[in-house]
Amino acid sequence: MKTRITELLGIEYPVFQGGMAWVAEHHLAAAVSEAGGLGIIGAASAPAQVVREEIRKARKLTDKPIGVNIMLMNPNAPEVAKVVIEEGVKVVTTGAGNPAKLMQEFKEAGVKVIPVVAGVAMAKMMERCGADAVIAEGTESGGHIGAATTMCLVPQVADAVQIPVIAAGGIGDGRGFAAAFMLGADAVQMGTRFVVAKESIVHPNYKEKILKAKDVDSEVTGRSTGHPVRQIRNQMTREYLRLEKEGAGLEELEQLTLGSLRSAVIDGDVVKGTLMAGQIAGLVKKEQSCKEIIHEIMEEAEFLLNRKEW
Amino acid sequence: MLEKVTEILREQLNLENADIQMETSFKEDLEVDSLDLFELVMALEEEYDIEIPSEDLEQLTTVGAVVEYLKNKGAE
Repeated sequence: MKTRITELLGIEYPVFQGGMAWVAEHHLAAAVSEAGGLGIIGAASAPAQVVREEIRKARKLTDKPIGVNIMLMNPNAPEVAKVVIEEGVKVVTTGAGNPAKLMQEFKEAGVKVIPVVAGVAMAKMMERCGADAVIAEGTESGGHIGAATTMCLVPQVADAVQIPVIAAGGIGDGRGFAAAFMLGADAVQMGTRFVVAKESIVHPNYKEKILKAKDVDSEVTGRSTGHPVRQIRNQMTREYLRLEKEGAGLEELEQLTLGSLRSAVIDGDVVKGTLMAGQIAGLVKKEQSCKEIIHEIMEEAEFLLNRKEW
Repeated sequence: MLEKVTEILREQLNLENADIQMETSFKEDLEVDSLDLFELVMALEEEYDIEIPSEDLEQLTTVGAVVEYLKNKGAE
């Protein structure tokens, strides 16, 4: 399938794998790229040297394009940007901030810059400062979220900018893919469905929680802090929300979540860990290879998009 | 200029009754988040016919900083 995004990035299918902290390491990113999508290594708060190693390890598994997600709130973001350029990565997605300061450096190195946006004004601003595309991420997503839903955000962003739009948040199968295209997207980004991929290193306990999640099992913590996070409900979210309701300060709340994503992803602590996942977790029922996931979605989407009778 | 900026703020960010002074902080006093700031900047650009590069956004922490910034840009 050809879209502006597949042409821009030289990939086969317009499917990105989200740059999820701890989860989006080289095995997963390489498998998604090898399957024809865009695998993305999530730099999150990792030291620049670790990101360099991850890129090199991914390269050993695939020679297709891979991307890196840079979390701009991380103080070492400029250092990670330098590593990305030195390693010859050609696509960067950015989250948690404004990539304007790094834009020139990326442009000169021929890196395509694709910021995650949660609103129209930000999308326009990003286009003006040279972004090659934007990821319009709705509040259905797992992890750190904005307020607008994918259904409302994607068409408004698509109307506001000329550059291609990648829809994210709440997309987990071919129907979601087709719907995103109807709303004006040129590609989709998925996280949750890839968390349970065979190639994903996420602990089996965590995968099990996603596979068993129901439609209503999604919870948002941290609204009071201004940094809401979507995850699957467990003891941790209950405790967190109770503290939030009692008016706990940032420090006390952070104590609860310190290292909690790592303990869920790596150690499989599904009681006190942070089980980041999107609302679409309820739809995700199988552990499949990245290739199976992408092929299944593309087949279903192409059928739907070509359908003549409804 | 404070008056005009205040008017734009109220309209763009739905801050009907908020107390807005030069020293008012967007984040602490008005609970304006980064997305709202993008909205505000777009509206200011239109009103004053100037361009505010997005890398300048982080300096704009208070109403006074915005007024000062606009003056430096030659806005009236």
